[in-house]
Amino acid sequence: MTDWRPGRQLKLQTENYRLRSLTAKDATDTYVGWWNDPEVQNSLGFEPRQWDTARAAQHIRRFDNRRRFHVGIFPREQELPIGFISIFLEAEQRALTNIVIGNKDYWGRRVVIEVRQTVFDWLFNDMGVFKIYGKVNARNFPSIFNYKAQGFKCEGVLRLHGRGFDGTRHDLLMFGILRDEWQAKRQEEKRQEEKTQEETGQ
Amino acid sequence: MTETASLQHGIHWQTARQLLASALQVEPPQLDAEAAIGRTERWDSLAHMRLVLVLEEHLGRTLTTEEMLALESLADIAAFLDGAP
Repeated sequence: MTDWRPGRQLKLQTENYRLRSLTAKDATDTYVGWWNDPEVQNSLGFEPRQWDTARAAQHIRRFDNRRRFHVGIFPREQELPIGFISIFLEAEQRALTNIVIGNKDYWGRRVVIEVRQTVFDWLFNDMGVFKIYGKVNARNFPSIFNYKAQGFKCEGVLRLHGRGFDGTRHDLLMFGILRDEWQAKRQEEKRQEEKTQEETGQ
Repeated sequence: MTETASLQHGIHWQTARQLLASALQVEPPQLDAEAAIGRTERWDSLAHMRLVLVLEEHLGRTLTTEEMLALESLADIAAFLDGAP
């Protein structure tokens, strides 16, 4: 599936996207723009960062491609990414992930689900991860949808844990999925796919 | 009678259907009684955001986190409206 080795760029493929670890050279105006975009950052519960390319490159360099990955999402045949997924391998076979689609033309196009499916298969099947979890602002409804659609369970509500860009406090939700749950869901999806193919004669 | 069938006799079933149809940008008859996340193709991330916002507009208040988390199907929406203050 991938020839990744510790310290090397992670490269994965989905049906519609190429995924590869970003490097400091990827700190383009487009990438920096996502960190400074109020709409993108507010959906995550943050203020725009007011970064420049040097600060963005510094951020990218923090990812070592050993336990920390910052992976760009590139539509096939395109040179610029539309977003990224960050992966943090933790102790006890846990992984924390977060994903940002910075290019708004791709919002609502199931990019998150497609990308995470491939990344989660890699984490559970190749990396020996036992549990994947993520944190989300309780007013980030699209992100909550994506967790639910991929079988995650809401494991906890941290009450009024964060403060939004407008100063109001909001709950922080913890979503998690275990390896067995993920693999059962993937098998069920494959069964459904085969059934549909049989029914349509494809 | 199944739980979903029972909810279809609730006073808010049609309202729930209209609100969900509005969020999914379809006509209410296009939604079957079993409409749910993962089952209904039009129910994507942006539709889910619209759903919460139309429910908040309908009720004139912000949904609590627990209420919002419970919305996974048309039946959930109807049950929520049946019990909503």
